[in-house]
Amino acid sequence: MGTFLLKRFGVMLLTALCLTLIVFYLTNLDPNLEKLVKSQLDMRTSDAQVEAFLERNGYRQNIFKRYGEWLGVAPGWTHTTETGEITGRCIPAGSDPADAPTFCGILQGDWGFSTVFKESIGGLILDKLSLTGVLMFWVMITMVPAALIIGVLAGMREGSKTDRTLSTFSIITTSTPEYVSGVVFIVVFASSVTGLRWFKGTAASAMDGANWENFTLPVLALALYGVGYIARMTRASMAEVMTEQYIRTARLKGVSFWGVVLKHALRNALIAPFTVIMLQIPWLLTGVVIIETLFNYKGFGWTLVQAVGNNDIELMMAVSVVAVFVVLFTQLISDIGYAFLNPRIRVS
Amino acid sequence: MKFFKRNGKPMPKHVVEMAEEVKKNGTAVSRREFITTASAFGATAVTAYAMLGMKAPARAAAHAKAGGTLRFQQEVRALKDPRTYDWSQIANVSRGWLEYLVQFNNDATFTPKLLEGWEISDDATTYVLKVRKGVKWNDGSDFTAEDVARNIEGWCDKSVEGNSMAARFSTLIDAKTDDNPNGTDKIKDGVLEIVDSHTVKLNLPAADITLIPGMADYPAAITHKDYNFETAIEKPLGTGPYIPEAIEVGVKAVLVKNTNHTWWNEGNGAWLDRIEFIDYGQEPAAWVAAAESDEVDSTYSIEGEFIDIFAALDGWKRADIDTASTIVIRPNQNNAPYDNVNVRRALALAVDNNVLLELGIAGLGITANNTHVGPMHPEYVDIGAPEYNPEKAKQMMDEAGAGDFEHEIISIDAGYRKDTTDAVADQLRKAGIKVKRTVLPGSTFWNDWAKYPFSSTNWNPRPLGVQVLALAYRSGEAWNESGFANKEFDDTLTEALAIADVEKRKVKMQRLMELMRDEGVTIQPYWRTLTNFSKDTVGGADHHISYEYYPHEMHFKA
Repeated sequence: MGTFLLKRFGVMLLTALCLTLIVFYLTNLDPNLEKLVKSQLDMRTSDAQVEAFLERNGYRQNIFKRYGEWLGVAPGWTHTTETGEITGRCIPAGSDPADAPTFCGILQGDWGFSTVFKESIGGLILDKLSLTGVLMFWVMITMVPAALIIGVLAGMREGSKTDRTLSTFSIITTSTPEYVSGVVFIVVFASSVTGLRWFKGTAASAMDGANWENFTLPVLALALYGVGYIARMTRASMAEVMTEQYIRTARLKGVSFWGVVLKHALRNALIAPFTVIMLQIPWLLTGVVIIETLFNYKGFGWTLVQAVGNNDIELMMAVSVVAVFVVLFTQLISDIGYAFLNPRIRVS
Repeated sequence: MKFFKRNGKPMPKHVVEMAEEVKKNGTAVSRREFITTASAFGATAVTAYAMLGMKAPARAAAHAKAGGTLRFQQEVRALKDPRTYDWSQIANVSRGWLEYLVQFNNDATFTPKLLEGWEISDDATTYVLKVRKGVKWNDGSDFTAEDVARNIEGWCDKSVEGNSMAARFSTLIDAKTDDNPNGTDKIKDGVLEIVDSHTVKLNLPAADITLIPGMADYPAAITHKDYNFETAIEKPLGTGPYIPEAIEVGVKAVLVKNTNHTWWNEGNGAWLDRIEFIDYGQEPAAWVAAAESDEVDSTYSIEGEFIDIFAALDGWKRADIDTASTIVIRPNQNNAPYDNVNVRRALALAVDNNVLLELGIAGLGITANNTHVGPMHPEYVDIGAPEYNPEKAKQMMDEAGAGDFEHEIISIDAGYRKDTTDAVADQLRKAGIKVKRTVLPGSTFWNDWAKYPFSSTNWNPRPLGVQVLALAYRSGEAWNESGFANKEFDDTLTEALAIADVEKRKVKMQRLMELMRDEGVTIQPYWRTLTNFSKDTVGGADHHISYEYYPHEMHFKA
């Protein structure tokens, strides 16, 4: 178990390194740097000014040196202006250059400074992640029980009317992407087109306090796709379990149908959906990109959009690290959990 | 009857004559140009209207209720050095604490704010700026001529990256050019003179009539010597009645009333306790959702089909303003085949501006004539509608040897800019000219906006016609996106910029407008009417002619 975890963390680190290096390379391509400068200065800046800015702010160094700066293994750049002022990566505006550390990268716990949000990235990402955490929490709370109930009900009697109805429902929801369901929900439930206006078509106020009115639609739109998907998986797994010999034996012994379902079938049927549910988490992370932008809920997904749109290099690096961590960590949990649920499988 | 400026001196003769002229055979348009001119030369709004024998329209501010929180839908962008502001939205937030010397109003007048008034010599080479007495910074110190002088020096510092005020004040700058390699790129010696604690005098090396309008533009916010936008939340130095409580880029900016500061104009505005600028992104559908969810009280600017949607909402009112906001679809002359004047003229010949107005903005505006000068500008000369003749266009294109050339027209990805550009492409295709359309997202579009061989760009209004010509069509200007470089045009423009008398300037302007058209510089199809919506209970948040919103004017009606 210990070596397994160690290996996994090793893989996680390696993946994070590779991914960030790729992201770093791509964000530092010339056109992207130009975009960055224009978002910093003026969208109508001249080429000479762009070049001067890049030169002055350390963007024109070797890319590996800069990557090293970001990691915190290479010393931060400094620049002396004509008037003798010293600026640099590790020198915050207005502070004495003499006090500044030589290294300031993620190894030193410094995630950098966002060029879009003009904030230090560590705190920013935490804020945004906690907002997205709230959203994901409610999505999971809605999605998982609903999906499991639908899946079990559909799978316990394959081919029945209940199965057909619920399967149709799950196929429809899983084939509706969230950007479609989100828009449909807003039009139907939150606009004067239908006049229903049960909910708000925007979740901007949910950042200060989520409530039934402003949070239902984004949660539903995000959950619905997953509901259908997980329900399909659960149904398949349930249907398979229900054809097993031991289920027939239990039935023949005289255990009631519901007794069989709850006591014997359910635990075995839930093994496959567990993995699927864990894999939904990284998927949700991409889903929030659309939903948060659509509903103006300014969490992690929205931040990602802003970072990409403005070529905010360090913010994109931080976002990539978080994404790698979330994906690999949920995989890890799903592997370990799988072993607990299914004694036939052992980790190590 | 004699008319006087704010300072009691008589109005210049040419302005008086102009008033007589307008009174005799005035239309709404010529009245408007007169008022802008008279106002720029120091008349109060009341005087300007009185010279025409009219009453100044009353401002509806009498029924304001004190207190309340107003939520305003608007993009929230990061603060920066005011000189380098590139979005009106930044200024709308900072206008809470950073005020301006002069304010440009929807009725085309200029109101002195941190200035008490100004005097311009008849030849427009000497400006005397009277600094308002009794204005205090919110750190308790006095606002004096020193502050005004320092800000003007700052505006004239061309070495500051992205300082767009330098273009507005270029007459004052000792610019480094090929002819003048030793230029300092700062203000010329002897231009700026502090006469006394509340008087600043500008001795211009050449006449310039655009300085007062320049001072009213949104990057011209007046800052304290210790002001630093990076610490604006902790130390919001300024003269205004509000201070920023929080500015979260892309999310929200909050202004709260500064209770520790006596605003110079106390009792005459700044009714609200709190103003929240909330960012609902770029998608108008989200603004509708915000309005329907009762999360905003007023909006920044509503365009196109969304005007009808907002108009259908209960409890919301519409505010329209005819402006010099426009779009240009221009070839860049530094790229073949657009270096050929006949190719450029053929492009303009093939499109009907009326159609562009209809398809681009659903008729919400007035047609323009490809000169980027319009009837809202004082020196506008009606040189007639541009010719529309698709057959001739095709013929000219063929003769110029570009008959088989495929024109790639680039535009930003949304709204009227895309629609109008699509309509241009469509009309060119109908004329038999090959066109490829490329649509770029806003995040990348602006990277090369001034360099695309053929693309569309939106332009904000400027009070005077010569201003925009100087900014966008003079050889070598940073914002010269059409690559237009014409000696006669440059010389005529320089002359026009020195003529305070509108009638005399019109002569030059006519030539400039003709050159714009004869050289096929640009397709400039229409002037936009801008619209926003506010709740019925909201006042002081109507759409401004140049996208300026004034926190101190916003209020709830009593």
